[in-house]
Amino acid sequence: MNRDARVEAFVAAFEALRAEVEKVIVGHHEVITHVLIGMFAGGHVLLEGVPGLGKTLLIKTLSEGLELSFSRIQFTPDLMPADIIGTNIIVEDADGRKHFQFQHGPIFAHILLADEINRATPKTQSALLEGMQEGAVTVGGASRPLPAPFFVLATQNPIEMEGTYPLPEAQLDRFLFKLRVRYPALDELNAIIDRTTQSRPATVSRVLSGPAVLSFRELIREVPIASHVRDFASAIVMATHPQWEQAPEVARRFVRYGASPRAAQALVLGAKVRALAEGRYNVSVEDIKALAAPALRHRVILNFEGEAEGVDTDTLVARVLDNTEAATAQGREPFLR
Amino acid sequence: MNESPRIEGLLRRIRREIGRRRAEYYGLRGAFWGAVAGVVVLLAKHAVGGAAAWAAAALVILGAVAGIGYGAARRVARGDAARVADRAFGLDDRVATTLEWAERADRTRLVDSLVADTVARVEALELKRVVGRVVPREGRLLAVPVLACLVLAITPPIPMPSGRLPDFLPSGEEEREERVSSSMLEETSRPTAKDPLKRPSLEERDFAQRAGGSGATTTGDLSAIFKDTSLASQRPDFNSFMKKGDERLRMLEQVDRLPDLQSDFTSSQYKMVYRKSKALTGGLRPDQISPQKLRELLEEMERLGRKGGGNWSGDAMEGMEALEGGQPDRALDAMQKALDKMRAMDEAQRSGKGLRGGRDNDRSGRGRDRARGDGVGPEDQDFGEGEGLMPGRGRSGSPKGEATQRLRASPYDVGVEGESRRGRKDGYDTNLTGRGGSMASRLQYLGVIGQYRKAMEDAITREQVPRDFHDQIRSYFQALDER
Repeated sequence: MNRDARVEAFVAAFEALRAEVEKVIVGHHEVITHVLIGMFAGGHVLLEGVPGLGKTLLIKTLSEGLELSFSRIQFTPDLMPADIIGTNIIVEDADGRKHFQFQHGPIFAHILLADEINRATPKTQSALLEGMQEGAVTVGGASRPLPAPFFVLATQNPIEMEGTYPLPEAQLDRFLFKLRVRYPALDELNAIIDRTTQSRPATVSRVLSGPAVLSFRELIREVPIASHVRDFASAIVMATHPQWEQAPEVARRFVRYGASPRAAQALVLGAKVRALAEGRYNVSVEDIKALAAPALRHRVILNFEGEAEGVDTDTLVARVLDNTEAATAQGREPFLR
Repeated sequence: MNESPRIEGLLRRIRREIGRRRAEYYGLRGAFWGAVAGVVVLLAKHAVGGAAAWAAAALVILGAVAGIGYGAARRVARGDAARVADRAFGLDDRVATTLEWAERADRTRLVDSLVADTVARVEALELKRVVGRVVPREGRLLAVPVLACLVLAITPPIPMPSGRLPDFLPSGEEEREERVSSSMLEETSRPTAKDPLKRPSLEERDFAQRAGGSGATTTGDLSAIFKDTSLASQRPDFNSFMKKGDERLRMLEQVDRLPDLQSDFTSSQYKMVYRKSKALTGGLRPDQISPQKLRELLEEMERLGRKGGGNWSGDAMEGMEALEGGQPDRALDAMQKALDKMRAMDEAQRSGKGLRGGRDNDRSGRGRDRARGDGVGPEDQDFGEGEGLMPGRGRSGSPKGEATQRLRASPYDVGVEGESRRGRKDGYDTNLTGRGGSMASRLQYLGVIGQYRKAMEDAITREQVPRDFHDQIRSYFQALDER
């Protein structure tokens, strides 16, 4: 298979998977695209939206389209870390001798749906930290690798704040993207009604295997990126830092902590997937701009003034993007540079 | 890069285009500033001569040519050209990425696909002009200096200004003007009577020059304010205070220049010696007192008496002789006498004679003025001793309040708690009975009587006590004295 064929295969697989998901999920085209981008980039995705918008259904449908194991954890306040990771239990063998045996938790799956992740305590939420970053968990002093590919899809509800525990910044930073699931439009709502009230629900086919996902991840890392595009991504991330001397006024005024280097990694990796999904062999500035909001909105921490003013991180990121574009070579007349 | 002559051709074309636009841009700017310089030259046509118009035209052309040359000479980077091509033809940074990655050693196989894809896309392009023209601000304003150049070129030269203004006046008037101006200069050079920037209250010369003031006071010595008899005798008057304030109060704002009243009026020789004597004799019998220290104190008192003209030198000498004769009791009595005399002199000085020394003169001066018909206003009225104007009440007997200081000035008011004075007591203890009977009185009877007598005298003088009762009151106090 030559390279072009692999790219073609990736584009085909990407589109097939999206088509399978869209059999069930109405609308949310951008959310589905970004979920797939996150998955192929090797990251984890946090979906935020009010109840009933199909977040959990989207993830379940995605898991059905992949030949991968799937676990679902309904996060509750009394959930314990051992309920996620697993624990050592005493078992008796045929000879009557007792010994410890590790009972795998639901985290040992390719796709993990952490439903309403903000309903568990930070202690339990933190049980995911090692697995999300290292691809392994440590139980009883032994490190146990998670199956690859490992992909966490979490959901959270932004309005029911009673009895919830906001995710710690360290946990948030481990999500490649944070996606906001919007309310469907009228025609989309009509389509949802038609699909969900039929006698036979749509069936989803498995179109992609685990090894294929891993090979695509390797392919994605080969996508070249021009230095000025990389510089643009770095400048966006730096511009979210109020301490940076070239930070725009909006960041200086409303931001307490800017995005971490993981944000730049997320931008570039996601841009590579997006470029390849569009059949391109290189990353463009437009890819970076398209993924700036999903990659940065949960990594920019507003200060008190920003919270008090009700500043929306999406709006802030958009303004940072505009400022950065104007300040870099992208926004200047070529012959005046 | 050798992948595609088409890509190279595209970049060359864009670089040429960018160079052309730069030349236009900087040419317009150069022409503008050349035209501005031309305007300056044409303004000086009177001095430059007929070549000014040609010089101005040359400057405009020179500026434009210099700008064009600068713009064209600026190098256009291949990366910039590639990015312009990507943006102009919608190539999504393919050309720029291809240029950068095609020659890298770590190029992946995907880069080959990128290059092939880019070449294919560039070859399929329909080339067009992609770099837009940008007119600088100077270009939009270029017409202004160019028109100014044209107008100045066809108008006659403007005469250059000479060193002095043209002569608009006849010769006689000019001379008069000069005279007037010189007199005005004299006027301005004359020292002003009063510096407007200087607060009137800060002008110290007022006090040094005032009639009746002490000639010994120097400029800056604000103690003169308090010794100045004209100020000291100034009567408090609410109306004048409302009009111009109280000069003495304004003086008090100058904290750093106020006289040291503590050292001037409270540290008298008497007090100093008194403190030493108390430190020497406090709680000790005469035979327990150090003769050496007592002698030193008596010597000091004698010296002060000789130096200051006091009449206690003899007592001090007598005490020293008694001490030499081994009679400390007599020495102490002599010291006490000398102290009493020092106190009497001190009291005489503190009673205000010194401060009011010039008041009589001032008052008599005023009286003379009044006799001449001057100063007949309410502020210039003369008053008797202790009289003055009370705001809203007119003439008052006690405008300065009660003389509480005089009570403390009694020679008998010295009483140390828990210690009665030695020797024969000239008065009666006032608390001989009751719970305090066992304790010595803190106030001497005669001292108290003396204070009340003074208060009585003041009351008779200042308050409206019927004259017929004056003798009766005095008789009563006389009877008390005889006890």
